[in-house]
Amino acid sequence: MTELNIADPTNTSVPVLSVSGLTKKFPGVLALDDVSIEVRSGEVLAIIGENGAGKSTLIKMLAGVYKPDGGTIAINGEVQNYASPADALKAGTKVVFQEIALIPEFTVAENIFLESHLITRIGTIDWPEIRRRARDIFERAGFALDPDAKVGDLSISQQQLVEISRALAHDAKLVIMDEPTSSLTPLEVRHLFEVIERLKSLGIAIIYVSHKLEEIFEISDRCTILRDGKWISTQPTSSHTNDSLIKDMVGRSIDDLFPRSERKFGDTVVQVDGLYTHNRLDNISFNVRAGEVLGFFGLMGAGRTELAKAIVGYDPISAGSIKINGNLLSPHSTIKSKSLGLGLLSEDRKEEGLMMDANVTRNMTLSALQKFTRGGFVNAAAETKTAQSFVDRFRIKLAKLGQPIRTLSGGNQQKVLLSRWLMYGLEVIVLDEPTRGIDVGAKTEIFALIDELASQGLAVILMTSEMPELLGLSDRICVLAEGKITATFETSNVTQEEILDAAIQ
Amino acid sequence: MPATESIKQITNPIKKILTSEVGFLVLSLLALIIGISSFSEQFLSAPNAVAILHQSSLVLIVAIGMTVLLISGEVDISVGANLAFSSCVVMAVINQTDSIALGALAGIAFGTSVGFINAFVTTVLKVNSLIGTIAMMMMLKGGVFLFTREAIQNHHQLPLFPKIATGFVLGIPVPALIASIVAIIGWVIMTRTKAGRLFLATGANQKATRLSGYSPERVKFAAFLLTGALTGLAAVILASLINAGQPTAGGGFELIVIAAVLLGGTSLMGGRGTILGTIFGVLILKIVDNGIILLRLNQDYQIIFPGIVLILALYMDQKRRGTTND
Repeated sequence: MTELNIADPTNTSVPVLSVSGLTKKFPGVLALDDVSIEVRSGEVLAIIGENGAGKSTLIKMLAGVYKPDGGTIAINGEVQNYASPADALKAGTKVVFQEIALIPEFTVAENIFLESHLITRIGTIDWPEIRRRARDIFERAGFALDPDAKVGDLSISQQQLVEISRALAHDAKLVIMDEPTSSLTPLEVRHLFEVIERLKSLGIAIIYVSHKLEEIFEISDRCTILRDGKWISTQPTSSHTNDSLIKDMVGRSIDDLFPRSERKFGDTVVQVDGLYTHNRLDNISFNVRAGEVLGFFGLMGAGRTELAKAIVGYDPISAGSIKINGNLLSPHSTIKSKSLGLGLLSEDRKEEGLMMDANVTRNMTLSALQKFTRGGFVNAAAETKTAQSFVDRFRIKLAKLGQPIRTLSGGNQQKVLLSRWLMYGLEVIVLDEPTRGIDVGAKTEIFALIDELASQGLAVILMTSEMPELLGLSDRICVLAEGKITATFETSNVTQEEILDAAIQ
Repeated sequence: MPATESIKQITNPIKKILTSEVGFLVLSLLALIIGISSFSEQFLSAPNAVAILHQSSLVLIVAIGMTVLLISGEVDISVGANLAFSSCVVMAVINQTDSIALGALAGIAFGTSVGFINAFVTTVLKVNSLIGTIAMMMMLKGGVFLFTREAIQNHHQLPLFPKIATGFVLGIPVPALIASIVAIIGWVIMTRTKAGRLFLATGANQKATRLSGYSPERVKFAAFLLTGALTGLAAVILASLINAGQPTAGGGFELIVIAAVLLGGTSLMGGRGTILGTIFGVLILKIVDNGIILLRLNQDYQIIFPGIVLILALYMDQKRRGTTND
């Protein structure tokens, strides 16, 4: 299956999809800037890029959800002008979105013919015909589906097959898959890839959007890289290496992305023993030394965020102990953990970090307020001065300190929240997905900042689901699966495969 | 979008005043004063000004506490019932002890303990404060009749007691003086102290406040206690004003207080609001009240009007914020 029939560049037939100069503006951003791609019959084109690269904007325009501000979309050479997703479907484009849009209470066959119920002569729905046609499709595509099963009872993987069947029922010429493997087990991913091969053999053109590079290498014939809304390259996938893909995606090589200064490890600062929580964590024990970055990797639902919140006293624990420099975290509260020098940067900036309407200074000084307080009164001048020094030091982009934090970009907001703890002065910082929803440039700066903090002797506990971030920043790696630590590695001698294996068990 | 917005604000100063919270309130207040005085000569007279200040004082004292409480993300519906009960306690204790000081202390202590129970129900039992304090209101409204069937008169006829409400110091009515002091302290707390920051932070984002190493429960507890204590203080003035403890007093009082606070720009969702806004909110509502009487309109408008004003105020707030928020 890894041997791919690369689309012949000399093939002169009309491409199934040909996009030219596609542009989309949103207030303040050019989400997609003059992007042109082609996909041919029986070909898989991968589209990759970081968050915010413009992948989903592109897909939504191909699906008729957004109207382009410039450029054209042509199917089989005919320029399309979609007014709605229904038009795109009629023209032969079917998108299988990450979140599957089926009606769980209806049967498989009913869902497949949702838009085009077949009618008998007396005006009722022709159920036998619908079932027959559904079975036809399954046979053609090689799906093991029962037309009469309720969709709600199916696995995510089977629901994807129903979506693909819908595409076949509508004679789709182009199937777009948006992060199709994000909630699949490895075995289900295998099955999906077999389905994709089958679709190719039926002459269907496929756009495959993913940020999992190994999948791209396995399934795609060519790959288009987007960055900051711009087209960077389209090449046969086989001409790429892992490094060249990343380099095109982030605009610099991986070594520049993760600067690593000399780290000297001090004494053990964090000691977690036999930690249990009510619903997730199961006998978690680990140590972190001063100046060390301990990375926790895990798939969705492995317990990363639960662990982060339990360690800092935010969520209750049912057993176990947390010690900072030998001092027990007891009572189990954030007030106590803060006094021991332990704090969390939450994964959810909006819900658990920012005071959206408050200004930058207020947001930044929340944890360290006591430093500016004498006899209950806050010294606003000292507060502003300190806030300004952090703005300068971390190059936080803003017009003035008094502006509401919601007007800052995600990266700058994250720097403000990091400053909130650094201003207080921690011994241990827990970072939960510190670069989620942040553009590439700001990511690099935050990586550099984390490295700098570690080199200054801070103990860092990093929760992440991003492999490059994990490998680039951590000194040691603990892998979480279903609330347990399944493996611990030294970063210097571990491979991605070993980490993934431990995460999946 | 932010760029075009700032251009609009520079090129349109009128819009800027209208969109700034306090500016809009000042303009409304001025419009009311000009409007009412053009129909009634009495309006700008000294006795009428004193009457307005008297009327505003009770509401303002409690509204300061309510502002802090709403900013922290909670609400207290029981302040009206608490006011009535506390005023009866004040009078009963004065009758028992012959001491105005003890009576006043007892009233404030009673009001504070109601605040304590509200705080406990909300922060420890985790009952939604809207529901919890409605329940408290019901208990107080029933309870006060177990305490006294009818108004408690000033048995000892202490002449000094009514003076609290009707007296003047430096030409200012005593209740207005007390309310001003309360408002100034409230303003200092909210703008200058760490406590003020924590009230705002708790209401703006409770989870973030907890993660930053504070206890949102303690912050809310303090806000409930403050509201209860100030209600007790207002009850002392009320009892002095009518020279009695009146179990049926305070009907609809909580609505006027909350209306004034919201009118002043405090968010029902917490995290946003100013003492200055509340002062204007109270003045606007009370001047409207006064105008209705002076213009000899049906007095039922006194409760209808705040309802209309409230919807208008919240609508304006939505619009103002809608331009920047989503």
